[in-house]
Amino acid sequence: MSRNTPRASGYFRTSYAQDFALIQTRFERTALAVFVIALAVFPFLATVFYLDLACQVFLAAVGALSLMLLTGYAGQISLGHAGLIAAGAFTVGILFREFAAPFWLTLPVAAAVGAILGLIFGLPSLRLRGLYLAISTLALYFIVVYVGGEYESTRGFSTGIMVDPPKIGAFALKNARAWYFVLLAAAAATLLICANLLRSRTGRAWRAIRAHEIVAEALGIGVAGYKLSAFVISSAMASVAGALFAYYRGFVSVEAFSLFLSIQYIAMIIIGGMGSLLGALLGALFVTLFPYLIEAVLMKLPNAQSYAGALFAVDYASFGLVMILFLVLEPLGLVGIWRRLQNYFVLWPFKYRPVAGGRK
Amino acid sequence: MQLIVNIVVLASIYALIACGYVLIYRVSRVLNLAHGELMMLGGYLLVMTASMFSGNPLAAIAAAVVLSLVVGVLVYVLLMRKMAGEMVLAAVLTTVALGVLLRGLMLLIWSAQQQYPAEALALSNPALILPGGGRISTFAAAIVFANAFAYGALFLFLQFGRWGVRMRAAGQNPLFAAQRGINLHAVYALAWGLSTLTGSIAGMLIALDSGLTSSMSVIGLKAFPVALVGGLDSLLGALLGAGIVAAAEILSIQYIDPLLSDVVPFLVLIVALVVRPWGLFGTREELDRV
Amino acid sequence: MRLSIITAAALVAGVSGSALAQDAYVVGITAALTGPPASTYAPAVEALRIYVDRLNASGGINGKKIKLVIEDDSAQPSKAAANAKKLLSEDSPVLLLNASLSSTYAPVIAEAKNARVPLMFSSSVCPKDVYPPAQEGEFCTTAFAATYDSRAALSFVKESAKEPVKIGFAAMAIPLSRGEIDFAESQAPELGMTAVDKEIIPPPTADYTPFATKINEAGANWVFSWAPWVTEVRTFEALRRLGWSGDYVTWAHLEAEDELKRIKDPKLYVIGANALFEDALPVQKDIAEAVKQAGGKYPADEMTEGWIAGMVLEAALKGAGADATPAKVQASMQNLKVDLKGLRGGPIEWTKDNHFRTKQYYRVYRWDGSKVALVKNWFFYDVK
Repeated sequence: MSRNTPRASGYFRTSYAQDFALIQTRFERTALAVFVIALAVFPFLATVFYLDLACQVFLAAVGALSLMLLTGYAGQISLGHAGLIAAGAFTVGILFREFAAPFWLTLPVAAAVGAILGLIFGLPSLRLRGLYLAISTLALYFIVVYVGGEYESTRGFSTGIMVDPPKIGAFALKNARAWYFVLLAAAAATLLICANLLRSRTGRAWRAIRAHEIVAEALGIGVAGYKLSAFVISSAMASVAGALFAYYRGFVSVEAFSLFLSIQYIAMIIIGGMGSLLGALLGALFVTLFPYLIEAVLMKLPNAQSYAGALFAVDYASFGLVMILFLVLEPLGLVGIWRRLQNYFVLWPFKYRPVAGGRK
Repeated sequence: MQLIVNIVVLASIYALIACGYVLIYRVSRVLNLAHGELMMLGGYLLVMTASMFSGNPLAAIAAAVVLSLVVGVLVYVLLMRKMAGEMVLAAVLTTVALGVLLRGLMLLIWSAQQQYPAEALALSNPALILPGGGRISTFAAAIVFANAFAYGALFLFLQFGRWGVRMRAAGQNPLFAAQRGINLHAVYALAWGLSTLTGSIAGMLIALDSGLTSSMSVIGLKAFPVALVGGLDSLLGALLGAGIVAAAEILSIQYIDPLLSDVVPFLVLIVALVVRPWGLFGTREELDRV
Repeated sequence: MRLSIITAAALVAGVSGSALAQDAYVVGITAALTGPPASTYAPAVEALRIYVDRLNASGGINGKKIKLVIEDDSAQPSKAAANAKKLLSEDSPVLLLNASLSSTYAPVIAEAKNARVPLMFSSSVCPKDVYPPAQEGEFCTTAFAATYDSRAALSFVKESAKEPVKIGFAAMAIPLSRGEIDFAESQAPELGMTAVDKEIIPPPTADYTPFATKINEAGANWVFSWAPWVTEVRTFEALRRLGWSGDYVTWAHLEAEDELKRIKDPKLYVIGANALFEDALPVQKDIAEAVKQAGGKYPADEMTEGWIAGMVLEAALKGAGADATPAKVQASMQNLKVDLKGLRGGPIEWTKDNHFRTKQYYRVYRWDGSKVALVKNWFFYDVK
């Protein structure tokens, strides 16, 4: 049940609680503490620009975690993730414009809308697998975006729906640092929910379905029910991510949810490493920061201003290239690289793990 | 009458693009989601050869056609060969990434400006008047004929040609085909080359007919439901699927709501997936194989 | 591991690279230099850059040079928001420019308002807030204007038509174009025209013929289209291929002049607010010279929009004085009159309430068989 991280000798687990615990060794506890302190101190050192980047990473992380649950663990491919995020954002936009609904109402409704859509997205999964499922999710994405666009045009919001920041009494959430902590909390909460889900019966059922669906059915796992639950939970989370996105940006518009966004989320879980929550986080970090990295590199070249026009094309091309490189050369993604590094340091001076089994 | 002409033209466009999807899927079970970008690349290759052979339209077109065949084979040899034998999903995602890469490269090389290869080649596009009162532009008629020719040639090739038979064998059971001495890599490369060829011809003809924009690859995505509705491994299905989707799209423009034309292919797709996922003429086992 | 080192290095380099330029006017720009709609905005930014470079070469304004900080947002709202945040927090501009798609407006407007820096829209559609009564910090120099464009076009159709007008409309399926065409459709009956058909065409259409078929079969003798150029021109070409012989009036985008010369159809009218290069005005020769010297990528006749932005920028900064703060620049802009030397029908005049212009001028051109010719000279609407 526990993760197969190589550990130094002398570590024993003597109770079930210890076995199940998320943080197990003293080293892990200290590492986590340092990390939390770093995260808490960051907003006081960083400029507004880097705060915005961090917030974007947190938002992407929520979406990536939900997709990782669906595709990485339950094995159901979804190319329509951007549609679910759009659905959450539009729910917030519509409720705010039509009914002036406050955020503590719109967020749960967005989750509910996401869950319902997840049910609809998930129904084809009962009959179809693999590519056919991916295609049906793609079709549903187009339909969601179409409906959103129709709403925008028919209700007169040509340039997008403006949304006010969420308010509690007189305090409106506008400050960049405040948003940082809110989104950090959201990402952490999502991570905890995902980790706990995966440790539970549902998570085990998903892993079984991904490994071999027919055998899972034969073992008595209700495959149809668990597949649908994967879609419902993942979609609800993605919708909440979309709702947060709407509040953070302050507006909703259908152009922000292009097919490329779906591709980016898929890239996050591939580059991060399928079947690992850490992979989702690393992937979200990488894919969000990637365009800024490319821009920084390009701007250091001589005669930078004349390249400014080609930035988008270079961005696109290098993104495709990086995705291809990961798929061909490192299918286990960033997590694979990370684990190999971990193995190296823990096992040194030995090269190989003593017991067969676990990850490559 | 004009309505029928419009449906035939649109169906030909979709069918010509869809046969590329079907070819690769049938032979190697890979879904090539970069087909839209490869189709657009054909248009840009024509722009390039038009500037090289500016006096000679036939030479330019011939050169572009040959180049697109080479590009298709190269894509397989350099990239997709490494994914042969891997999980199907990984191969499909590789094609998605390839599409993104190609789009970026095309933007980098040719910028987002609209191109008019017909102007560059000094070819004109007059409207032909058909018996019955309908009108069709010259290049649209060319698309219809090119589509018919392509399908006819592919049928004959797959049925009777030596390599065609090998392709069908590799598609039915790669393991046995390889054991019988069929060079799978060569067969796959040929499939990719032919698929890119037909896609590029579609792209070139569309570019000649109405100009080349940098977002033409989306048309490739709209043609994908066509392949699915007919059955991803059936050429005849692709032809029929094209007819159905094109008719649905044009009739909805004419009688229901022009805006739906964007979504109609995907609505048809969903209906097909719910009712008959393996398509009109596809093999049913496909569902479990993936 | 290596990746995070590279990331850290890049971040550090980025932070250290932004030194404050004390001795220049800093103007921040977020523009759609790349991305699908780039062909509308990139030439304008290029023209502005050439204008400012020329101005700096001849000494600048009030003895100070102008420093343009251009960020690309690829028409993506989240990138535009990040650009705005970065420009406002790290470069301390006195003025912010937006030359991008309307979906990027909301975050950029919010950021600019928070930082109390005036925001000018150039080549991007003018938001409602610049029309009277205008929002404090928003200004617009862009040529096209919602509702006024339709009114101008329809009045032109009415006075040019030799028989009762049956008018068809073509829009692209984006909210802006649809809104405008809906408005035009509602105006037509008031001018005595019958609106026979309205087509809303999705952007990625393979074949425009089905839509043209409907317009043709509805019996339109005039068609008005207000959309990105690709929709406007392809609908026209599809109509002609169907044998339709009516008159087509459409908005003159940047590419219009070259396209008129390519299509050579005397019944294609383009209506716009900028003078075409065919007029050979001295200022246009000026532009052509400057573009050639600077080695610009885009043809000179696409530079008008950005050039006008440059002229307005120069006037605004001049009025703000040598010791400019954002507040001073904004005050200068609230009381501005810039002579455009014939590039538009009249000057750009901004008042406290009107940040668009007091009069919106229009001209109509067409191909007369041998060259691009003027059909109707400057006529205007008072902007209230």
